[in-house]
Amino acid sequence: MGVVAVTREPCGARQTVFTPVNNQARVDAVVRRLGDAIELGLLADGEQLPGESDLATQLGVSTVTLREALMALRQQGLVTTRRGRGGGSFVTVPEGPAEERLRSLLAGWSTEELRDLGDHWAAISGAAARLAAQRTEPGDLLPLRRSVEQLTEAADGAARSRVHGRFHVELAAAAQSARLTREEIGIQTEVGALLSLVLGEERYLKDLCDRHRTVISALQDGADEQARAQIEGCVRLCMARLVELRLGSSSSAGGPRPQEDTYG
Amino acid sequence: MGSSPRPTGGGPDILDEVTAADVAACVRDTLEGVFDAVSETGTDAAALLASVTESGRRPLTGDLAALRPGLHTRLTRLDLVSGAGFVAAPGLLADVSAWLEWWQIGAGGAVRPLVLDLDPEHSAYSDYTHWDWFTLARDTGRRAVAGPYVDYLCSKEYSLTLSVPVAVGGRFTGVAAADVYLSHFEAAVMPVMQKLPGSAFLVNARGRVAASACADYLAGSLVKGPDFGAILAGPADGVEHGGLRLRPCGDIPLILVTIPPAGRA
Repeated sequence: MGVVAVTREPCGARQTVFTPVNNQARVDAVVRRLGDAIELGLLADGEQLPGESDLATQLGVSTVTLREALMALRQQGLVTTRRGRGGGSFVTVPEGPAEERLRSLLAGWSTEELRDLGDHWAAISGAAARLAAQRTEPGDLLPLRRSVEQLTEAADGAARSRVHGRFHVELAAAAQSARLTREEIGIQTEVGALLSLVLGEERYLKDLCDRHRTVISALQDGADEQARAQIEGCVRLCMARLVELRLGSSSSAGGPRPQEDTYG
Repeated sequence: MGSSPRPTGGGPDILDEVTAADVAACVRDTLEGVFDAVSETGTDAAALLASVTESGRRPLTGDLAALRPGLHTRLTRLDLVSGAGFVAAPGLLADVSAWLEWWQIGAGGAVRPLVLDLDPEHSAYSDYTHWDWFTLARDTGRRAVAGPYVDYLCSKEYSLTLSVPVAVGGRFTGVAAADVYLSHFEAAVMPVMQKLPGSAFLVNARGRVAASACADYLAGSLVKGPDFGAILAGPADGVEHGGLRLRPCGDIPLILVTIPPAGRA
């Protein structure tokens, strides 16, 4: 492709040659971020995305990177672009069952990446729970209680996942740490869409709601190590189910990476 | 940003020793200056909403754009303020169910609007009516200081939010508010706190440390024991509690806690 492109489009190809080597990672990160947001329903069907330069600035990437990411999203059918007056890039939620699309999203993660994501998440939420138990006063628990109640009532996996993510963000905020909170928001952005697969299953939903109530009790009692252990247990449960689903789906969905032997 | 720590007028000077009353007055004046700005926004918003209502229609989000010049001026003028605006009560505006006319000042002094997804179908953060800065002002009908708290809705910073209820014809329409990042608040009050002969820190009515010149009580930690809420309604000189002196900061709901220097207690 490279040679052909050089002869046909010298300018475009030269631009590609001189983009930073790690640019593909940035493109992938933008594709994953926007793709997850569409799956989670954070971006609605038909919603217009901000203009290219605004969106690139907001995401902290170059317009070249953003254009490549939009091209990939168009190929996945998640974005359509219209030219002319009233034109721009629009979100298109693809047809077909959400679960199937989420499973192919999950297939883009290796089990090692999932394990590492779980480690990071457990570290942040675990530390947040421990500090929150030391620094909590009754008012801090109200948002957490409300989130657990909303979690039991939310209709589908995507809605549950949004509230579940907020529980973890509220926990980090209760730790009085802006850094842990920002880190938790970043983790929930990554894991949220995937978790709607787990939270869509009633038995996992019920188990997690019960565990979250136990976390709140531990916070209330100032039992910091217990709060940490409980929330780490929640994270392990979620990630173990995701790995199970990943391994179960890898043969049919044809993920980009081979399945690890050690898990086989 | 223009909110870097301001010059303190030289290093600590023994002749320059201050009293707890001086520190309490400094805290009061610092936040009263922010409240003045919040009240200006509140007055603007009330006047705007009243004139729209008099014209016989419900206000729209577009009407609130008239608040922007004042908000920009205040954000630029006040080093301490990092975000400011008017937050509509749900159902106030005819075109949307909820709205924050909220502006933030970023690095380099650029003033930007906060854009939030307030659609409950997409966002778990769409309902802002549970935050202290909203409920305290709404439920008491009086101005409020919320925090310190991690603001995961707007700035993702550890902050104080000062808010004032905005009523039109006796009806609550929302709150005018301003965000003060805790690091900036600390920079504003620390120089004078450090001139006290003993150590000192500030707590809110719930006992949460808001700024501290004492390594044993860091911002964000909880001090348990005293009923800090009662101190605010008590004598201006404060009270003693277990070797600590607890003193209100005027009408600002923060309490200055001073620990006498060792040997003088």
